[in-house]
Amino acid sequence: MKVGPWRAGPEGRAWSQGAGQTPRKRARACAEPQLLASPALPDGRIVARRKKRPAGERDDRIPSPPGYAAIPIKFSEKQQASHYLYVRAHGVRQGTKSIWPQKRTLFVLNVPPYCTEESLSRLLSSCGLVQSVELQEKPDLAESPKESRSKFFHPKPVPGFQVAYVVFQKPSGVSAALALKGPLLVSTESHPVKTGIQKWISDYADSMPDPEALRVEVDTFMEAYDQKIAEEEAKAKEEEGVCDEEGWVKVTRRGWRPVLPRTEAASLRVLERERRKRARKELLNFYPWQHRESKMEHLAQLRKKFEEDKQRIELLRAQRKFRPY
Amino acid sequence: MGPAPAGEQLCGAIVEPEVMEPALEGTGKERKKASSRKRTLAEPPAKGLLQPVKLSRAELYKEPTNEELNHLRETEILFHSSLLRLQVEELLKEVRLSEKKKDRIDAFLREVNQRVVRVPSVPETELTDQAWLPAGVRVPLHQVPYAVKGCFRFLPPAQVTVVGSYLLGTCIRPDINVDVALTMPREILQDKDGLNQRYFRKRALYLAHLAHHLAQDPLFGSVCFSYTNGCHLKPSLLLRPRGKDERLVTVRLHPCPPPDFFRLCRLLPTKNNVRSAWYRGQSPAGDGSPEPPTPHYNTWVLQDTALESHLQLLSTMLGSAQGLKDGVALLKVWLRQRELDKGQGGFTGFLVSMLVVFLVSTRKIHTTMSGYQVLRSVLQFLATTDLTVNGISLCLSSDPSLPALADFHQAFSVVFLDSSGHLNLCADVTASTYHQVQYEARLSMTLLDSRADDGFHLLLMTPKPMIRAFDHVLHLHPLSRLQAACHRLKLWPELQDNGGDYVSAALGPLTTLLEQGLGTRLKLLAHSRPPVPEWGISQDPPKHKDSGTLTLGLLLRPEGLTSVLELGPEADQPEAAKFRQFWGFRSELRRFQDGAIREAVVWEAASMSQKRLIPHQVVTHLLALHTDIPETCVHYVGGPLDALIQGLKETSSTGEEALAVAVCCYDDLSRLLWGLEGLPLTVSAVQGAHPVLRYTEVFPPTPVRPASSFYEPLRERSSLLPRLDKPCPAYVEPMTVVCHLEGSGQWPQDAEAVRRVRAAFQLRLAELLTQQHGLQCRATATHTDVLKDGFVFRICVAYQREPQILKEVQSPEGMISLRDTPASLRLERDTRQLPLLTSALHGLQQQHPAFSGVARLAKRWVRAQLLGEGFTDESLDLVAAALFLHPEPFTPPSSPQVGFLRFLYLVSTFDWKNNPLIVNLNNELTAEEQVEIRSGFLAARAQLPVMVIVTPQDRKYSVWTQDGPSAQILQQLVVLAAEALPMLEKQLMDPRGPGDIRTVFRPPLDIYDVLIRLSPRHIPRHRQAVDSPAASFCRGLLSQPGPSSLMPVLGYDPPQLYLMQLREAFGDLALFFYDQHGGEVIGVLWKPTSFQPQPFKASSTKGRMVMSRGGELVMVPNVEAILEDFAVLGEGLVQTVEARSERWTV
Repeated sequence: MKVGPWRAGPEGRAWSQGAGQTPRKRARACAEPQLLASPALPDGRIVARRKKRPAGERDDRIPSPPGYAAIPIKFSEKQQASHYLYVRAHGVRQGTKSIWPQKRTLFVLNVPPYCTEESLSRLLSSCGLVQSVELQEKPDLAESPKESRSKFFHPKPVPGFQVAYVVFQKPSGVSAALALKGPLLVSTESHPVKTGIQKWISDYADSMPDPEALRVEVDTFMEAYDQKIAEEEAKAKEEEGVCDEEGWVKVTRRGWRPVLPRTEAASLRVLERERRKRARKELLNFYPWQHRESKMEHLAQLRKKFEEDKQRIELLRAQRKFRPY
Repeated sequence: MGPAPAGEQLCGAIVEPEVMEPALEGTGKERKKASSRKRTLAEPPAKGLLQPVKLSRAELYKEPTNEELNHLRETEILFHSSLLRLQVEELLKEVRLSEKKKDRIDAFLREVNQRVVRVPSVPETELTDQAWLPAGVRVPLHQVPYAVKGCFRFLPPAQVTVVGSYLLGTCIRPDINVDVALTMPREILQDKDGLNQRYFRKRALYLAHLAHHLAQDPLFGSVCFSYTNGCHLKPSLLLRPRGKDERLVTVRLHPCPPPDFFRLCRLLPTKNNVRSAWYRGQSPAGDGSPEPPTPHYNTWVLQDTALESHLQLLSTMLGSAQGLKDGVALLKVWLRQRELDKGQGGFTGFLVSMLVVFLVSTRKIHTTMSGYQVLRSVLQFLATTDLTVNGISLCLSSDPSLPALADFHQAFSVVFLDSSGHLNLCADVTASTYHQVQYEARLSMTLLDSRADDGFHLLLMTPKPMIRAFDHVLHLHPLSRLQAACHRLKLWPELQDNGGDYVSAALGPLTTLLEQGLGTRLKLLAHSRPPVPEWGISQDPPKHKDSGTLTLGLLLRPEGLTSVLELGPEADQPEAAKFRQFWGFRSELRRFQDGAIREAVVWEAASMSQKRLIPHQVVTHLLALHTDIPETCVHYVGGPLDALIQGLKETSSTGEEALAVAVCCYDDLSRLLWGLEGLPLTVSAVQGAHPVLRYTEVFPPTPVRPASSFYEPLRERSSLLPRLDKPCPAYVEPMTVVCHLEGSGQWPQDAEAVRRVRAAFQLRLAELLTQQHGLQCRATATHTDVLKDGFVFRICVAYQREPQILKEVQSPEGMISLRDTPASLRLERDTRQLPLLTSALHGLQQQHPAFSGVARLAKRWVRAQLLGEGFTDESLDLVAAALFLHPEPFTPPSSPQVGFLRFLYLVSTFDWKNNPLIVNLNNELTAEEQVEIRSGFLAARAQLPVMVIVTPQDRKYSVWTQDGPSAQILQQLVVLAAEALPMLEKQLMDPRGPGDIRTVFRPPLDIYDVLIRLSPRHIPRHRQAVDSPAASFCRGLLSQPGPSSLMPVLGYDPPQLYLMQLREAFGDLALFFYDQHGGEVIGVLWKPTSFQPQPFKASSTKGRMVMSRGGELVMVPNVEAILEDFAVLGEGLVQTVEARSERWTV
């Protein structure tokens, strides 16, 4: 019964291509978290049976969600099963801006982890000249341009399944890509893609930073930062003591008489000081009603504790926790 | 703290398959309606989870009734707290006998009575002529020597009386025993029957005849013999009802002499009643020397005569006071949990009842006291009184004819006289048993005084089996060796006294010998009490050697363990001869540095683990020297688990030394950092933040000496790179060190800028360390790696105010407030909490040298079960620390073995759902604060992680368990621990040796859906595997320091890199399990929820494919492609991918 799935018989092959089949009967057990053997089906077998395929329903199109086209993609020729890229032309609603050019951009879902930007660009170059490829973890909803990130301070994350925005030079590239049949091969003899040990060793070598480059980057960043701060300060100095049009003067911390900083902690401190001052003046257990109330409060505390304890005991009793051995 | 529900699952069960029943079409609607109605009434609380109590104002502040006030006052006075009162009441309800059962037992007793008095009599014969006994029954006594004077005849008992706890109502479930005394008619006995076991022979014959007749009765389910309190001269007959009541009750018949038959003056502890001439067939050596006294023999005779008077005394004292009875029942539970009451010479429930009577008569206990107060007073008394020195007596009369207490002290180790003044109730209790009772009482008293939250549980509900209570245990097996030991120790009088029972005779001298030899290394020595056997009436009574194994438990004193020297007296002192005699050939004359020449014994032990096992050397040496017990008969269980945390090559050390070397190197480095010149800001603190620096790294690092031919050198970065054509190089994990720089106005106030400034400091640090100290360094934006003496440290520069900068948010009005963000929390954890924790645990290791071993064994086990990645290092270290900081009801472990057993016990019983595990590091939390933490925990339970560990530095969030484990992983660990604990305990308690100790460390692999087998060539830590491989690959290390000083390959572990990719790519479809210490297999579990067909969503297409199903387009995981991806992503590392179950088929 333990046959590797990719070694399944011809029937299994056809199914894995997903060629318009009727659904298999599901083993319901999958719905529940369980790690032991799955409940046996009525005939005692573990493998879910498949309903007989009604004749005539078969067609060769790979199922794809509406609006998308599916392109099978494999790592290399050795692999038998393939993943599917779901692609569509990139489009946004009226009125929203997008950094990706309309009509020339292909939006690709489900890019496998071993597929790099270079290999994707190579694979789609058959449809037309590719201008740029960008891989992202999630579909870009904000669609705002990103500032370029430093490789020292934002190391590349480990890739999982990604989405890609492929910008062609001409709109025809997109339509050609939508009609692609595949299967695409990520790694070929002429363009091998490193995985496994090879990739890790080269990653390790890449992770050695060049201290000089790092120093240069830090220095440029800090120069820009210092300049920005200096400008801000100059501006603040300029504005100091100058009335605005309604006659208000802005008071800052930098003046010759510093004021309380506007932070939450500072305001809490002030409140606390006030509270303590008030508490010092208050008399406790002075009037008879205060006395009575504090007694009642004590009793209420005991009652509450008692209720809590009872609940605890109830729980322990339910768990048979009072059987000593 | 309370144990977790035994069988209950935390949340989604990981092991038990739960098949959800589909809601039937017809009833679905109704059910929905019902549930919605219920919800409107009241949200039903989650099962097994405590909820914060909400009482309405009216309920809280209503006028109290008189009854309520009384109840509250009583609780306040008689009990510690209302919780304790409720707990005690529940416990008593559980152990007390119900009225219904009592009625059934009474009926059975009446039947027994009728049958016993109807047993026919037999004519008189000589005692030695036992031909009249029918064939199916054997005399329940070893008749050695056989010849004895006297005649025997059977007559029905003159009187049948129920004695003991049943009538008092203090007997506790389970194992209800009812003792029945049968008074033998005077005609059976003769004068001088007290002599030479004649009385006991008659008693045995009496029972044999009785047994034969009762065995034929269909009323009884089983009729068998046993020994009364394990005494080999006094058999008793056990009767159990037939049918479903068989487990309900055991009736024990004890024949006893008629009142006033024996003259008390003949049974004084100084008198002899077993003549040497008869017993050994020779008169004692030399003429005129008196016969040796037989105190134990005399006591056993006396015990039979006093059965009824004891009952009367107990019933007058305890009869009317319910509190006292409750107290006795609680004390019995207390003794039972500590295994003190069972077996021969145990501290029985009867003794405790008498102790209560004694305390009542001395006005230490009042009859109106509650059960809890009685328990407390008795424990207090036991803790503060030493009955081995100052005996006590219930006898009030000052008759000069009564024997003196001193006589009893001469004859017995523990003295507690009954009201007659002749009988020592504690005659069979050995000194070590009594010391154990005393020690337990002392521990319990400190626990009660400490106002711990759950004293009740720890005191009365936690079992303390020997293997979990003592640091080391040793088994003596086979027991027949003790016979020779008795002869060697010249214990003939004791043998004569004990009727040939060499185990009891040798026990006392043996324990004294070992106690003296172990001296300062020992806190307490306890012995198992030989179990009381039961045997069928047609069998001969079991031999002494059949009573199994004698197990000794050693509680070690950690401060005494460090010394390898036993210092004796100066050579010219008279004590020197004694010392030489005691230690034999191990004693040597040595000259010490102060010029003294002394006798001394030196043990061979270089490492901490060997020093921990010095008691083994002491015990085997002394036993061989003084008692002729050879080494092969002593099975010492002290370090079988050490092998699992031993280094790769050395087998003599468990790594404490190697860790100390690394910590030493770190100290040197921190000194260098402090003294560094040329940094723009000075170093304000250097703190370790790595498991090595708190002694909890499972396999300590060794200095790296890379062989240059094995690597690709990268000269411009002065580093080494792994090579494709070679096996994976040795794994070197840099040790993280946090280096705080002083605050200054120069630091920028912007998070990004602070990062750049830190990077600049990292570069500068590397430069300066290379210039000033010639160390190999490599700087990156976040850390600097430094190679020092073969150890690699990773220095992270930190700025104190950075977390605050990350937290700052400006509200629209311009108010700056602080809000936790993921980045600030992470930074705070890494630069503030982790160093604090590391230093606290480092301190703990200095206090408790066994901490390192325990924490490492625990981690090793969790990782070996492939669950290591669900738990952070720190969380497991904290659980191990809890064993040392909150050891109650035990004491902190002094050996890794016992600590590991307690770890398994804690993990398998702790109720994580309703309790936080409070680890009071440095004792910073007061009792009030702990109460506050607990109530805060209940209120915030839903927001907290499944496993909550609270420390003084981290009172609310449980930072170390925030990212895991998940409920399923924790549940799996609980289940595995609950399985491993009994298995391991059984192995360790097996006198023939523990067998394969690694069994509990091997993970079950049959639960995984897919197994990915890895190639050992690319597993750098392959040799650390639980079953260390016979051969593995060369990892490019030299044994001698080589010329290369390039930076070795750091943190390069292909399986980890592979797992990272797998989790990133398939994390929402499957779970991956792996043992980082040389595991050769990755277990994969599909997540059933993600296998449900889902509608298409652009954000969740990862690894799925679209299928049409019944006309609808749905997404399902593309399993076949994913399985091939497993092989693609791990090319070179993965050997095979085995899909084992086909449950994923959709």
